Amino acid sequence: MTRPDPKQVKAMTEIAGVPQDAEVSARIANSIGPAFDGFAPVSGTLPMDIEPASYLLVQRAKVSK
Amino acid sequence: MSDEPALMSLVAVAKAIAGKKLSSREVTQSCLDRIAQWQPRVNAFMAIEAEEALAAADAADAALAKGQNLGPLHGVPLAHKDMYYDAGKVVTCGSKIRRDFVPTTTSTALQRLKDAGTVRLGSLQMVEFAYGPTGHNPHYGAVRNPWNVDHITGGSSSGSGSAVAARLTFAALGSDTGGSIRMPAHFCGVTGFKTTVGLISRAGAMPLSQSLDTVGPLAQTVEDCALLVGLMAGADPEDPTTSSQPVPNYMAATTGSLKGLKIGVPTAFYVDDLDSEVARVLDETIATLKSEGAEIVKVELPDQRQLTAACQIVLATEAAAFHKRWMIERPQDYGAQVLMRLQNGLAIPGVTYLEAMRWRGPALAAYLAAVTGTDAVIAPVAPLPAATIAESDVGNSLDAEAVIQRITKFTRPINYLGLPSLSIPAGFTKTGLPVGMQLIGRAFDEAGLVRIGAAFQRATDYHQQVPKAA
Repeated sequence: MTRPDPKQVKAMTEIAGVPQDAEVSARIANSIGPAFDGFAPVSGTLPMDIEPASYLLVQRAKVSK
Repeated sequence: MSDEPALMSLVAVAKAIAGKKLSSREVTQSCLDRIAQWQPRVNAFMAIEAEEALAAADAADAALAKGQNLGPLHGVPLAHKDMYYDAGKVVTCGSKIRRDFVPTTTSTALQRLKDAGTVRLGSLQMVEFAYGPTGHNPHYGAVRNPWNVDHITGGSSSGSGSAVAARLTFAALGSDTGGSIRMPAHFCGVTGFKTTVGLISRAGAMPLSQSLDTVGPLAQTVEDCALLVGLMAGADPEDPTTSSQPVPNYMAATTGSLKGLKIGVPTAFYVDDLDSEVARVLDETIATLKSEGAEIVKVELPDQRQLTAACQIVLATEAAAFHKRWMIERPQDYGAQVLMRLQNGLAIPGVTYLEAMRWRGPALAAYLAAVTGTDAVIAPVAPLPAATIAESDVGNSLDAEAVIQRITKFTRPINYLGLPSLSIPAGFTKTGLPVGMQLIGRAFDEAGLVRIGAAFQRATDYHQQVPKAA
């Protein structure tokens, strides 16, 4: 996974239906880029049989200390 | 020792009213007197409803005289972050867009406090749409820290932190999506309780991120917070994500000792890159916990930077989705920083968002495995004390997100994991600014945190310190 560059961000904002100009797109790319970098080690590594609701199974499991 | 009723703790004042040692009118008037004194300096209130509050206080006193006690908070005046819907009252959410918004329903958390007998003092300032950690607000002005009005309160529950610190209200609801209860608690020197995702209903609370939003109180003491959480917690048909488990008696946990408890200290991340005074307070807090009987152990946590990144991905995407209509129709009505942060969510692909949501379970399992054997983990709330309002006014500048991420780096991992975290006043800097520490627990083990936090407050008096009016 790589962080989106300003051109890609501009295209994504258009697809999302809230188009932004080049300047704002550059600012978004700069702001959100570190989150992509930080999540990169996880992205693409998850096993298939996990869904968002799996979180509740872990959260609400009886755990002893 | 002052005899101002407003300086009492929530639990103490509720007891005094119930025992007819103080009337609700006396207590409410005391709060209103302090509000008149402090509001021009700190800008903590969004709306002050003096006449209505006194009328409600008189009604509470009359009811009590007839032997009618409405509940554990009968006649106690409170004010809350201006994002909790209260039918018929303007709820601005700190925004220009909702400047005139009047909901037709009342939030479950607020209703449960009303049912316990509280009196409404007004509403409290907040960061626009609860999306910011400093306390700046371009529409209603920055809220100021009562310990030094040139400094930030932290956000987004800025008015809640400031008002409780200045003793303008006995407690206040905040909300915590990325640190918005713990940050003002840390910067303003009050106790703040971010609860487990699913413990308290979010129905009727303005949404920011449906996966991360939590409701919780800020108050003087852990005991005050325990009382409030106990009143608000529990299943709610209006919020199907709430847990159906019975609500424990959190007040019963306020008297336990620390003997036999293990508290973990992270070996990395939460102890890195700390301001020297925050590092000193952390060391002193650990020493106090140890002297009170806790066993201190080191814990090696999974890489927390990945959790902060995942939190940012989830929060940015969900916030952008909530705000998409207004981003199209009314972008000019947002403050620059909030608009910039909402726009960030437009650049996150659906697959990335869902990966971040899918990873939540495995990430929580890995964290729980790392803290096995401990009752809680102790960590700073933020790496630094309150900055000045001027130096942290970064708006939508190129480095704004980096500044925000640094302030919130120790709180966001806990939001992503959905765990409870209790922020307690733990010391002061040499210049007199408060420093808080957070106790992080296991899901739905708020009682365990109450036990530790209350024991810490029996051994210290940081939570009893009150800022002086100029």
